[in-house]
Amino acid sequence: MEQLFSGYMIYSLSFLLIFIALATILHLQFSIGGIVNFGIVGFWGLGMYAFALLNLKLNIPFVPAVLLASALTGIVSMALGRIILNLDDQAVLVGTLAFATIIEYLATTEKWLTNGVMGFGTIKFPFDLGANTLFVYFLVVLVFLILLMFYVSKIKTSPYGRLLLSIKDNEILSQSLGKPTFRHKIIFFTVTCSLIGFFGAMTAPLYNYIFPRMIGPGITFTIWIALMLGGRKKLLGGFIGILATIGLFDYVIETVVPIPTQYAEMVPNVKFALYGLTLMLVLMFRPLGILGDKKREVKG
Amino acid sequence: MLKINDIRSGYGDVTVLHGLNIEVKHEIYAILGANGAGKSTLMKTIAKVLPLKTGEVYFKDENVSSFTPYQIAARGLAFVPQEGQIFPKMTVLENLSVGGLLLDKKSKKEKKEKMEEIFDVFPDIVQRLNQKAGSLSGGEVQMVAVGRALMQNPSLILLDEPTSGLSPKYVDNFFYKIKEIHEKKGVSVIITEQNAAKALEIADKIMVLTLGKIHLIKDAKNVDMCMIKEGYRI
Repeated sequence: MEQLFSGYMIYSLSFLLIFIALATILHLQFSIGGIVNFGIVGFWGLGMYAFALLNLKLNIPFVPAVLLASALTGIVSMALGRIILNLDDQAVLVGTLAFATIIEYLATTEKWLTNGVMGFGTIKFPFDLGANTLFVYFLVVLVFLILLMFYVSKIKTSPYGRLLLSIKDNEILSQSLGKPTFRHKIIFFTVTCSLIGFFGAMTAPLYNYIFPRMIGPGITFTIWIALMLGGRKKLLGGFIGILATIGLFDYVIETVVPIPTQYAEMVPNVKFALYGLTLMLVLMFRPLGILGDKKREVKG
Repeated sequence: MLKINDIRSGYGDVTVLHGLNIEVKHEIYAILGANGAGKSTLMKTIAKVLPLKTGEVYFKDENVSSFTPYQIAARGLAFVPQEGQIFPKMTVLENLSVGGLLLDKKSKKEKKEKMEEIFDVFPDIVQRLNQKAGSLSGGEVQMVAVGRALMQNPSLILLDEPTSGLSPKYVDNFFYKIKEIHEKKGVSVIITEQNAAKALEIADKIMVLTLGKIHLIKDAKNVDMCMIKEGYRI
């Protein structure tokens, strides 16, 4: 029990909050905006690297560095959005996936800036409260997550949310109603990607030291799996999905379950196999996820 | 209101409309023709959903040939595509609200008044406001689609075969409502129809399209069914 409230657990819970935020933003992009973002780790990594470079190499203080990193992620996503958002879903999927690969590749190859595979650090927390630093930072991340969830819950029923839903359902019809749909899609993509960049920047002090392997495609796939498991159409779908994947495997099983040392190495690989199996079962029996409605029975 | 000069339009390399010239004033303008005559293509071209190959379109004396769908909609042209086309996952109320997006800058009171006007024209949809639009009957879908178009506060409304698939009872009622919208709200209407007899009852002007060309344009009072059928035979 003591282990649950240890520094390691607070550290782990902080990461959990970050991933819940990413899954919630993905829900916003996919279920409300109809954007298939398979490059979520790219925007997250860009925010994280941009923040770390601004903070460490240019000595920009924490808050302006986080804001600048978010803005930079937004600007880059706007440029990407102008290229891909007028295309069909498959092209958006491939375009965002390619973007994430480029970011990981640049983080590896541009050694003069990122120190390549060796990475760089040490990224410090914005305040020093001794033993309580990590816990207070966890609370800060929690506050931002609550604000994000509040924003997402409100947007669905707002006129802007209805506009986004109408664009997702029938873009041509939405244009005929007098709204520049492409412009709205770009604005929405820019804002949501800068939010991903924001949470990327907020992750950097938790990692302390960053390197390219942290921003591999596994993060994107895990978040997508979590969202599909939890319920892609529900606000809390990402929350439940992250708890059922990263929460269950990375923290509960690895921390609480006494796994013999000789089997410990197998956990990460078994984890992905179980993610896949669970996803298949959920899609078969609850296609809309744990929180979604049950599959309708077809009689006849 | 609307002037079309020598337009050609179609899909990819296929030209469907071959040099049409039309002028629509403040009236109900019915476009008739057999399947494949180009009626829907003409409507989509006017609404800018399909691009022009050649020619010019003037709306309220402004050249709108290079406009996008949202630019022409913002000028007061509302388009109701074939089979209504609503947002099925939204409620009826949300569908109507989406139509009122152009009223964003207006007060809640003005939006509410606009909504009340629509309920006056289509009182049947009031009971369905919180129902998902996807669960409505064909006639109700058409009412919601036209109601949504009216929320745009249009001066010209394009109705593309609004009564296709509707029962005769709904058709009669629907045509009556279109006439009412034109007379009471001062909205000009262009309507494409398969049912020529019904169109003749409400239209001020009739145009018959045949294979993308104009077969005849006449005041409705000077047209009889024989003249119209001639255009369907080719």
